[in-house]
Amino acid sequence: MTASAKAISRRGEFRRGEGVIGLLFALPHLVFFTLFLLAPTFYGFWISLHRWPILAKAHPFVGAANYAAALSDDIFWIALRNTAYFVLLVVPAGNLVSLLLALAISGVRRFFTFYKVAFYLPVIISIAVVAVLWRWLYNTEIGLLNLYLAAAVNGLRSLGLPLPPFEPVPWLSNPAFTMPSIALMSIWWGAGGNMVLYLAGINNIPDDYYEAATLDGANGWQRFWAITWPLLRPTTLFCLVFSVLGAFQIFGQTYVLFAPGSGPARSGLTLALYMYLQGFNQYEMGYGAAIAYLMFAIVLAFTLLQFRLLARPADDAASSRKRRTA
Amino acid sequence: MKVDHRVFGSIIKRRIRVKRRAPRFRARMLLGLVGALVGLSGCGMTGSPGSTDQADANGPITLDFWNGFTGPDGKTMEAMVKQFHAANPDITIRMQIIPWGTYYDKVTLALAYGGAPDVFILHAARLSEYASFNVLRPIDDLREAKGTGAPLPVADFARVPWKATFYKGKQYGLPLDVHPLGLYYNRALFKAAGITDANGNAKPPTNWDEFLAAAKKLTRDTNGDGRPDEWGFVFTNQHSNWYTFATQFGAGIVTEDGRRCAMDTPANLVALNRMRDLIYRYHVTPKPEGIDAWLAFRQGKVGMVMEGIYMLASLEEQKGLPYAGAPAPQFGPNPGVWGGSHVLCQPVGGSPRRVTAAWRFIRFLSDHSLTWAKGGQVPVRLSILHSAEFQALPVQSQFAKQVGFVRYDPTIPRGNALGQFVDPAVEAVLIGLQTPKAAMNDACRRITQALERP
Repeated sequence: MTASAKAISRRGEFRRGEGVIGLLFALPHLVFFTLFLLAPTFYGFWISLHRWPILAKAHPFVGAANYAAALSDDIFWIALRNTAYFVLLVVPAGNLVSLLLALAISGVRRFFTFYKVAFYLPVIISIAVVAVLWRWLYNTEIGLLNLYLAAAVNGLRSLGLPLPPFEPVPWLSNPAFTMPSIALMSIWWGAGGNMVLYLAGINNIPDDYYEAATLDGANGWQRFWAITWPLLRPTTLFCLVFSVLGAFQIFGQTYVLFAPGSGPARSGLTLALYMYLQGFNQYEMGYGAAIAYLMFAIVLAFTLLQFRLLARPADDAASSRKRRTA
Repeated sequence: MKVDHRVFGSIIKRRIRVKRRAPRFRARMLLGLVGALVGLSGCGMTGSPGSTDQADANGPITLDFWNGFTGPDGKTMEAMVKQFHAANPDITIRMQIIPWGTYYDKVTLALAYGGAPDVFILHAARLSEYASFNVLRPIDDLREAKGTGAPLPVADFARVPWKATFYKGKQYGLPLDVHPLGLYYNRALFKAAGITDANGNAKPPTNWDEFLAAAKKLTRDTNGDGRPDEWGFVFTNQHSNWYTFATQFGAGIVTEDGRRCAMDTPANLVALNRMRDLIYRYHVTPKPEGIDAWLAFRQGKVGMVMEGIYMLASLEEQKGLPYAGAPAPQFGPNPGVWGGSHVLCQPVGGSPRRVTAAWRFIRFLSDHSLTWAKGGQVPVRLSILHSAEFQALPVQSQFAKQVGFVRYDPTIPRGNALGQFVDPAVEAVLIGLQTPKAAMNDACRRITQALERP
């Protein structure tokens, strides 16, 4: 604060110099950012306005035709629906798992770091590796999941429970199972990331509150609802926002499992995968770029919506404080 | 995340005093840095290995050769390249094997932006796509062989693969092989089920009735749990299997002229219903859902599969599997099987010297395609097809009987773009999600859209 105030007071003295020096500091990043992110991003928009088969020498300008084509392409809508379904499956359940993990290990005294690392470990694995690994777990005939389920069902049957004989679950080969299976795998992969954030949030809550509540005779459940949950709200919202953004861009899972196809009955076709297939499988760059920009628009709309949600906790905290004092 | 502004502020202040003295130098440095970065990123795009000629016009020359032979076929090709080196010491072939999954991406980008290899493989069904963008070098002048030895013995090439290398009257490559689908069957299971000829040998079916009867006999529940665990037939590759059925009933993806969708024709509905019946009516084929059908055949739990000749190597690896090959049965009124061909192509824009050297290599591979055939392929040179040595190859010679009626996927420039609509529709029928009629109507609506796009 004081330094920046000083800086303002002496502005005239070195404004010019600071600008250049600041630019120099930012330059290495700025150059790469411009060359490899900003320029391609705008170039992508330019491409989306053209018919752009990769091998063609000329790329005629077609205006918004690629966008119109995408919006009237029912496969685009299938991809959007699948993506939305994935978001709905993975965001609430994934955050719940992360929160439960954080709550569970925040109370652990011994081997705390071990548990934290163990649950975080999947996050650092590449999604390609995760997908290959889970493809084997999900294998209908020889997959570990079905073997365990079969053993469980057969065990219960031998105990006399009236269960039907075990039918192997077609995890990745039945359209109804595809997205839930991918969601399960994605939660396993990503839960550790949000868990760390929730842990940080939980650790930021002063112990005094819990002590006071315990003195007042609150049980564990009450302490969670009255203290942990409301005070974790900023963390929860942050995690939700970024989970939604991440989930909307799901690509690696379906790409590794299904490309160049799109899963049984297109059930694994997500927006990012459809964009990729159009661009790099059909070599229709213009169409692929248009899908990319439509996806960008959707994600942007969600982000703006969620930023408004994120802006609220401060007011809420203030109003709840008011309520308490009243 | 938090930055200590006080510390940073003082550093900045100190640096400013020094830097302010030489503003010009700073600006120039900046420009130089940006220039260097642009230069760095630029040279990666234009550098094309092997596409520049060596100074010495008669000296040794190195050619790049790309293909997707990642399996045992890659070993065979390596051996053939060695053979070529021994016979042609002035040419060095630098072979790069790229998995088929990413092969076309790489070839397409190289053809579009530079760095294309001197010789590369394209599948016959995709030739017209590349030829229509004028990135392939026509080989019509090379056939006559000015200065490259004997002219190409055109009459020695099987007609169907030969014709598939033409687009709008020009030839764009030389077919190396033809890889048709055919029937693989398990001799032990056949004998156990009593499907034998007069000599007691396993007898593969040749038509629908024989096929169905055999499949029924081969489907057995060996452990008594009420569900079959040995199957008469399985769908491994749905695309090639359906295409074989469809073509035998006179249907396909598009009409003969390549202008309209042919998947919703009555002929195709008959073909699809036959395939469906195997699963849902006769129960001799498992629903293609969550089963590794090819593995099941390798494990001896399946009597028959229809697969490409290129799967032969996978069976040869399987110890103790009594497999054999036969032509695909004729299910419909016409003979016909799905098939593909590896075509040897050259890019446009090669110097005469490179083109000639590349042609010598292509000719060599074609002339020596018996070696290639032994690795699990069917050659397209009639002299080799009829040779005693080729006829002694048990599976290859059986599959080769179909060379006259192999059907490629649509050889129109947009043929490959149709696959994304074809395969999900066939799958939807086989796993029972949609009726043949509904699925084919969906497919045709999309295919028509793709064909009519400007």
